[in-house]
Amino acid sequence: MGDKDDRSPKKKKGATKDMDDLKKEVPITEHKMSVEEVCRKFQTDVVQGLTNAKAAEFLLRDGPNALTPPPTTPEWVKFCRQLFGGFSILLWTGAILCFLAYAIQAATEDEPAGDNLYLGIVLTAVVVITGCFSYFQEAKSSKIMESFKNMVPQQALVIREGEKVQINAEEVVAGDLIEVKGGDRIPADIRVTSAHGCKVDNSSLTGESEPQSRSPDCTHDNPLETRNVAFFSTNCVEGTARGIVICTGDRTVMGRIATLTSGLETGKTPIAREIEHFIHIITGVAVFLGVTFFILAIILGYTWLEAVIFLIGIIVANVPEGLLATVTVCLTLTAKRMAKKNCLVKNLEAVETLGSTSTICSDKTGTLTQNRMTVAHMWFDNQIHEADTTEDQSGAAFDKSSVTWLSLSRVAALCNRAQFKAGQDSVSILKRDVAGDASESALLKCIELSCGSVRMMRDKNKKVAEIPFNSTNKYQLSVHETEDPNDNRYLLVMKGAPERILDRCSTIMLQGKEQPMDEEMKEAFQNAYMELGGLGERVLGFCHVLLPEDQYPKGFAFDTDDVNFQTDNLCFVGLISMIDPPRAAVPDAVGKCRSAGIKVIMVTGDHPITAKAIAKGVGIISEGNETVEDIAARLNIPVSQVNPRDAKACVIHGSDLKDLSQDQMDDILRNHTEIVFARTSPQQKLIIVEGCQRLGAIVAVTGDGVNDSPALKKADIGVAMGISGSDVSKQAADMILLDDNFASIVTGVEEGRLIFDNLKKSIAYTLTSNIPEITPFLFFIIVNIPLPLGTITILCIDLGTDMVPAISLAYEAAESDIMKRQPRNPARDKLVNERLISIAYGQIGMIQALGGFFAYFVILAENGFLPSQLVGIRLNWDDRSLNDLEDSYGQQWTYEQRKIVEFTCHTAFFVSIVVVQWADLIICKTRRNSVFQQGMKNKILIFGLFEETALAAFLSYCPGMDVALRMYPLKPTWWFCAFPYSFLIFVYDEARKLILRRNPGGWVEKETYY
Amino acid sequence: MAKDGEKSDWKEFLWNPRTREFLGRTASSWGLIFLFYLIFYTCLAGMFALTMYVMLQTLDEHRPTWQDRLSTPGLVIRPRADDTFEIVYTKEDTESWDLYAQTLDKFLQPYNDSLQAQKNHECAPDKYFIQEDSGEVKNNPKRSCQFNRTVLQSCSGIDDRYYGYREGQPCIIIKLNRVIGLLPGKDNQAPYVTCAAKKDDADKIGELIYFPPNGTINPMYFPYYGKKAQVNYSQPLVAVKFLNITHNEDVNIECKINAENIPVGGERDKFAGRVSFKLRINSKN
Repeated sequence: MGDKDDRSPKKKKGATKDMDDLKKEVPITEHKMSVEEVCRKFQTDVVQGLTNAKAAEFLLRDGPNALTPPPTTPEWVKFCRQLFGGFSILLWTGAILCFLAYAIQAATEDEPAGDNLYLGIVLTAVVVITGCFSYFQEAKSSKIMESFKNMVPQQALVIREGEKVQINAEEVVAGDLIEVKGGDRIPADIRVTSAHGCKVDNSSLTGESEPQSRSPDCTHDNPLETRNVAFFSTNCVEGTARGIVICTGDRTVMGRIATLTSGLETGKTPIAREIEHFIHIITGVAVFLGVTFFILAIILGYTWLEAVIFLIGIIVANVPEGLLATVTVCLTLTAKRMAKKNCLVKNLEAVETLGSTSTICSDKTGTLTQNRMTVAHMWFDNQIHEADTTEDQSGAAFDKSSVTWLSLSRVAALCNRAQFKAGQDSVSILKRDVAGDASESALLKCIELSCGSVRMMRDKNKKVAEIPFNSTNKYQLSVHETEDPNDNRYLLVMKGAPERILDRCSTIMLQGKEQPMDEEMKEAFQNAYMELGGLGERVLGFCHVLLPEDQYPKGFAFDTDDVNFQTDNLCFVGLISMIDPPRAAVPDAVGKCRSAGIKVIMVTGDHPITAKAIAKGVGIISEGNETVEDIAARLNIPVSQVNPRDAKACVIHGSDLKDLSQDQMDDILRNHTEIVFARTSPQQKLIIVEGCQRLGAIVAVTGDGVNDSPALKKADIGVAMGISGSDVSKQAADMILLDDNFASIVTGVEEGRLIFDNLKKSIAYTLTSNIPEITPFLFFIIVNIPLPLGTITILCIDLGTDMVPAISLAYEAAESDIMKRQPRNPARDKLVNERLISIAYGQIGMIQALGGFFAYFVILAENGFLPSQLVGIRLNWDDRSLNDLEDSYGQQWTYEQRKIVEFTCHTAFFVSIVVVQWADLIICKTRRNSVFQQGMKNKILIFGLFEETALAAFLSYCPGMDVALRMYPLKPTWWFCAFPYSFLIFVYDEARKLILRRNPGGWVEKETYY
Repeated sequence: MAKDGEKSDWKEFLWNPRTREFLGRTASSWGLIFLFYLIFYTCLAGMFALTMYVMLQTLDEHRPTWQDRLSTPGLVIRPRADDTFEIVYTKEDTESWDLYAQTLDKFLQPYNDSLQAQKNHECAPDKYFIQEDSGEVKNNPKRSCQFNRTVLQSCSGIDDRYYGYREGQPCIIIKLNRVIGLLPGKDNQAPYVTCAAKKDDADKIGELIYFPPNGTINPMYFPYYGKKAQVNYSQPLVAVKFLNITHNEDVNIECKINAENIPVGGERDKFAGRVSFKLRINSKN
C-alpha cells in the first residue's frame, strides 16, 4: 500500500506539474495558420529561408536540434549502490566491529589475536566481491543497449538565404526552410508549405501502419492528424516536400514524448520489492538477535569486547552472505535462457516481472499484426472469397479458376504502380521489398502469388496513360494495350473507393460474363462492402472496360489532365479488401495468456473498427463476447439502453477516453475483461497503464513506436520490438523481443514464473542453514559451552558449499503447469513469507542444528569431554593461561590442544551442515510434489551435491587448512553423525508434502506451503 | 495520510477486534501452531536424546576413544601467576611473594607424606606400575603410587616455608599433564625435566638444582588409568630451584620434558612438552 503512495511523492510538486503538462496533448497551432503567418512568426521567408545570421541567433537561443539524452546515473553511484545496498550494510557493520575489536585488542594486549582482523578483512572482501559481481552483471546487461544506438549523424537539406545547403540535422533551427524527399528522416517538426506526392510514415508516432500523405492544407484540428505537419524523426516514404521548421529538439512532438518518458519515475520491479522485503525480514531478525544478545552478554557479565565479538558472530551467522549473488546468478541464467528464446532482457530484475504480470497492454501494429498490408478477402461472382493471410502461405486457397478472377487480377496488376525492388529473385514473394504504398504492395504480392509474374503481365499490356490516385477523385486509372497483338482496342482499368467505382459502372462481370448492373446486384455489392468494411479491412473496388476501337483507335492521344476519354459506363469486376493480418502465433499466445490469468488489453493508435477486427481475430475479444454496441445492434435498441455490465468486452475510442474521469476509467478496467483502446495518443497510453497499476495490476506494455515509449517506461515491464521498434522505445523498455513476436512474451511469462518459484526454493534452501549457524553462538553465550561453530566456518558454508546447490535450484523444472494458474498477487504472494521462514527456520533448520550439535558432542565426548561436563566450561576452556584443564577422564589439556579439538568440532559441525543440506536440497526441489514424482533430472543439482561434499572434504583434509582456516581433518566416522538427521529431514518433509497433497487447503497447506 | 493508515494498520495487526486476531492469528490458530511446534520439538528432543544415548553407549568408561591430540602432554608450572606466565617479585617485599608461597602450600597439601601413606601404595621404583585388567573382569579400583612431599627437599616447603622466595632462590614446581595410558620414556629410561634460559638470558640464569635429583620423573607413576579407576592418583612433580639467578633483570626460562617417546610439541602450542615463563627477582640491594 505504501508503494502506491510513494509513486507520487509530494515533495516533487514542481516536477509533477511539469509532467502533467507533458501528459496533455500537443500544443502545436501552426497547422491552422496560413503559410504567411507562420513565416511571420518565425521571421523567415517561404522562398529564401532564414538568413544565416538569424539561423545562428535562433540556434543560440533554442540550442541544438537534438533530444536531451536521458539523465544517466554515474557509474560510481551505481557501484556504490551495489556496495552499500542490501545486506552489505549489515556486513559492513560486522567488518567495522571486527576492526574495532581488533583495535581494542591491539591497544590493550601485547600479542593480539589476529582472528578479528582476518574476519574483518574477509567480511570486507565478501562485500566488495559480491558488490563488484552484481555491478558487473548489471553493467553487462545494460551494455546491450549500446549496440542499438544509432551513431550515424543525420543530415538535413535547408534553404538559407535562398541557397540549398546540406547541414547537420543538429543545426536546424525553428524557421528554417527545409526540403525532404522519399527515404529521408524528417529532421524537425515542420509545417509543410508545398508537397509533391509526399507520404510520411507516422507509425512510430501514431501507430498507424500506412503512410500518410502530406500537403500544405490543414485538414484536421488535431496537429497529429492534420496533413500539413510532418514530425521529427518520422520517415518520408516517397515524394518531396518543403516546409518551415516549427519546433526543434525537445520541443518537437517526439521530443516531448522522449522527455515525458525519461521524466517518468518507474517503480521498483516486483522482484526488487520482494528482495527488499526479504532483506528487511532477515535484517530485522539479525538486528533483533544481535542487540538482544549484546545486552544479554553485558548482563551476564561478559566484557564489552566479548559482547562486540558475539554481536559480530550473530550478524555473520544471520546474514546469508552468498544469497544475493545467488539470486543475481539465477536471474542471469534465466536471462540467458530467455535471450535464446528471443527475449532480450535489459534489466536483470525484469526477468521475473513478466511472471508476475497480470495485465498486458499490447500495441497492435507490428506486435499483434505482421505490420504488412495483405489481401484478406475478395468479392467477385457475387461471392466473398478468402485469401490466405498467413505468413507462410499455409492457409486455404480460394477458387482461382473463375474468369472473373482473371479479370480482377489483371486489373489489380495493371492498375498498380508498386513494383518489387530489383535483385530479390531468391527471396520468397511475401518477404520481398516493394517500392510503392502499402495497399498496392499488398495487391502486387497477392497477384504475384496467385497468377505469376506481374512484370510479364505488365510487359504484355503496355501502359499508355495513367491518372494517379488523388483525394478528390478517389480513384486511380490506367490505359493499357491488350495482350492480343491483333486486338487494337485499349483496356482501361480503374481502382478506387468502392462506392465511387460503382457509380461509374453500368455492368458487372459474373462468371466471366458482363451483365447489366441491376438493383439486386447493387444491394449484393452493398452487403459485401459493408461486411468487409466491418471486418476492419480496407476495401478497394475494381473495374475495367475495353475502349471501343472506333472511338479510340491505335495511337489515340490520351490526355490525363483534361480527360478526353470514357471514364464511366465501366464494367465492375470485384472488390478486394486488405488488412494488416495478425501474426500466426498470436491467437495461441493470447489464449495462453488468458489461461495464465493474464488480461490482455489492446491499445492502439489505429481505428476502432480495424482494432476490433484484429482483437477478434487474435482472441483479445473472444468469440461470443460482445461489446455494448454489439448488444445494441443485436437487440436493435439504442446503445444507451444497454446495461454496460452485460458486456464483457468493450472498445474505447481515444476521444471518449479524454472525457473519462478516473473513477469511470477504473470502472471500465475493472468490469471489462476484454478491452480495446483505439485511436489513443501516447499520453493516453500512459493514463491507461497508470489506471491498471492503480488497480493493483502488474502491467506489461508491448510496443514499438515512439508513441509507446512513455507507457513502456511507466509499465512494470516495457517490452519493445527488436526489429520494428524505434530506438526511443528500446531505450524505454526493459525487455526487447528480438523476433517482434508477441508469442515470445508467453515464453517470458513462463520463465518469469518459473524463476520466481525457483528463487523461493533457493532462498528456502539457503535460509535453512542459518539456524545451525546461529544456534551454536546462542548456546555458547547462554550455557557457556565451547563454541561449536566459528565465523570462518559459517562463511565457508554461506559462500562455499551452499552456493552451487542454491544456484542449481534455478535449473529446476516446474512442478506443474505454471501457465495454468493465476498470476501471483504481489500483496499476498511474497517471495519470502512467514510459512517459508517457519519451515526453514522453525522446522528443517532446527533438525539441522541438532545434527550439527550431535556431531559436536560426539567429537568432544570421544576426545574425553562428556556433555555433562561441557556446560559452564567456557571460562576455563577459553583461558589461555590454563594449560592443565581436566576432562571427564581426568586427563589434562593445554589451551592449544583443546582448541584443536574445538576447531575439529567446527569442522565437524560444518561437515554435518553439508550432510543435512543434502537432504535439504532434495526436499527444496519441490514445494508440493514428492521428489519421486519430480525425479532427479536436474544434473546441475546432482553436480551441486557432489561439489559441496568435495569442497567440504577438501576444506577438512587439505594440508595447511589447519593454519589457513583452522579446519582439521575428521575421523571418517564423524562424517556419519548427521546422517540420521539428514534422513529425518527427508522423511519429515516427504510426509509433510504427502499430507499437503492429500489434504488440499488443509492446515498443513495453510501453515507450511511456501 | 500514509502515517495514520500505517498506525491503525499496526494496531489492527496487533489486535484485530473484528476477527479477534492477535498478530494476524486467532487464538485457536495460535494454539494449533503452538501445539504443533510443541509436539515437533518434543519429538526432535527425543530423537536427539536417543542419538546421544546411543553415542554415549559406545564410549569406554575408562579411556576416551581418541587421544591423538594428547600425544605430547602439556607441561605446567606452579606457582601459577594469573594470566601472564610471569613470576615477578621483590625479595625484600614480603607481600610481593607471599602469594606464591601460599599457592605452593595449597598445591603441595595433598602430597603431605602422611596423606600419601594413608591413601597410596608404595610402589617399586624405576618401572611402570602396570595393573592390567584380566579380560572382562576389571581390576578396579587401581592403586596409585605415593609421591611424598619430602622428595622435593628444600622445595617441599617443610624446611623453608617460603620455598626460597625470601632468599631470592625461588622454587618452581613443574608437572606433566595427566594422559591416560601414557608411558613416557623408553626401556624404563626415566623421563626428566630440564630448564634453560632462552638465548639472550643464558648468562643470567645461574645455577639450578632439581628435586628429585636430575629432574627425573620416576616411571612408577605411569601409566595413569583415569580418574574413575585410579581415584587417588598423585601426579609426579619436579621442582627447580634457582640458586643464583641474576636479580633485577627479566630472565626467560623454558623447561621441557625429555623422553624419547614424547614427540616435540607443535610450533603453535607453547605448552606441549615444554613450558616457558619469565622470572624476575627484584632486589633492593
